[in-house]
Amino acid sequence: MTSDFVAQIFVFGIIMGALYGLASVGFTLVFGVMRVLNIAHGAFMMIGGYLSFWGFTLYHIDPLVSLLLVAPSLFLIGLIFYIVQVFPVIKFTDDHDKIHISLLISFGLCVVLENIALLLWTGDIRSITTSYAGSVLQIFNIRIPFVGMVGVALAVLFVFALYLFLVKTRLGKSMRATAADWKAASLMGINTNQAYLISFAIGVALAGIAGTLVCMIHSIDPNMGLFWTLKGLIIITVAGVGNIRGVLACGLLLGMVESLSVFIAGASYREVVGLVILVIVLMVKPKGLFTSRGRRV
Amino acid sequence: MLEVNNIDVYYGDLQAIWDVSLTVGEGEIVTLIGANGAGKSTVLKTIVGWLRPAKGRISFDGFRLDDRPTWKVVEKGICLIPEGRGLFHGMTVLENLEMGAFMSRTWKAQGQTLKRVYQIFPILEARKNQQAETLSGGEQQMLAIGRGLMSHPRLMLLDEVSSGLAPLLTENIFEVIQQINQSGVAICFVEQNAVLALEMAKRAYVFEGGRIVREGEAKDLRKDKGIQDAYLGTE
Repeated sequence: MTSDFVAQIFVFGIIMGALYGLASVGFTLVFGVMRVLNIAHGAFMMIGGYLSFWGFTLYHIDPLVSLLLVAPSLFLIGLIFYIVQVFPVIKFTDDHDKIHISLLISFGLCVVLENIALLLWTGDIRSITTSYAGSVLQIFNIRIPFVGMVGVALAVLFVFALYLFLVKTRLGKSMRATAADWKAASLMGINTNQAYLISFAIGVALAGIAGTLVCMIHSIDPNMGLFWTLKGLIIITVAGVGNIRGVLACGLLLGMVESLSVFIAGASYREVVGLVILVIVLMVKPKGLFTSRGRRV
Repeated sequence: MLEVNNIDVYYGDLQAIWDVSLTVGEGEIVTLIGANGAGKSTVLKTIVGWLRPAKGRISFDGFRLDDRPTWKVVEKGICLIPEGRGLFHGMTVLENLEMGAFMSRTWKAQGQTLKRVYQIFPILEARKNQQAETLSGGEQQMLAIGRGLMSHPRLMLLDEVSSGLAPLLTENIFEVIQQINQSGVAICFVEQNAVLALEMAKRAYVFEGGRIVREGEAKDLRKDKGIQDAYLGTE
């Protein structure tokens, strides 16, 4: 009985953790390549979630299908935002100032996006309830929700797709080179501004995908942005900045530890757990858990 | 081929280069010598577009470079081996070399070029799956030069390749640079060690306080009393 219960807790932990991982992967890509801390990452997730919510309630588009629309839309939003707002401000700054300035811009953007969401969709908590939302897979006494399984599968899929893109393709490699040393990258004939632009837009598109899954598995509201950004910050720091696969592992770790803590100490301590992990990792291994091999993807 | 005409360059408010003009011809080997902080490296950085001249003009085969972003300068066939090497840490030796061939015109031919680079630096082939930052100083310098060759340059700029290397290694590296030059690539290199530089180069420019104070055939400068006292050490 208890072992079933613990297994059940882990199932929910894995589902939540996969969402954490997917939510953080775009965040770490942008930070790793551009040294830009996009506080609005969670707010972009929210926009992605609401777009799929719209698609579902207005046009009855299945959220898994609407990913095909949400991801390109958010990619486009990311491109436009980068061109009109980020690029003009960061182009003359060094890495150190970039973090400060990007914090300011993206925090402002976060507020703007929250208020747009309030206007368009009110402050109500929304979620997508598809016809298969209630279906579960029962293995012995453990119940695995179908949407949760889909969420985990998609999270793993997208994280590995991004990883392969960065390791195998010419464009992906040029983005890693830009991340490692943008001046040297420019000497290779790489248009580093273009590499930044594409990294940012991919990051925002991944936020949109994560937001859609959150809306499907969980719920969304206009204030969710900073919650997810905070989780993202914890995860990318624990994983080591720019570490794509490490982010998925750390997301899963955080999800499982959190749901275990709810079981042991009660739900009120859940939000503290991640911060405790962060402090411990910063004390013991400040460069992140998965940085020993020196490889930065 | 490369023409730098009367450029002034500033770091913020500080002027680093006064009215510098120099040329590098097709297949030539030229050195810039002078004391630390004399502005030699600054000239190279300005040629590749990391710095902008406040005055003057830089052109390559008549194509104006000084208002172009770095990646466009590089596409014209100029490569810089920067001071500190600028290797991509967290990427393997092979990935670093691949990045050298990033441009569309060189990307497809990279298999061929890679063979040639491995012929020149066999050690890079042996280490191809190692992370770039795990190489020794000399190997890192070879990787930086090999990566530069991957872009099929017509002009290679080298910024202090000998820094931090043992004398024997420096000699090896310079032998390779001579080989590269004989294969038709023009070379312009900045060097602290003036004795070595004047042996290697055909022509030289002597920098002092951000200005060119002497220029001429390397063999003439080697015999020059003033140059000997200031840069070559007297025996």
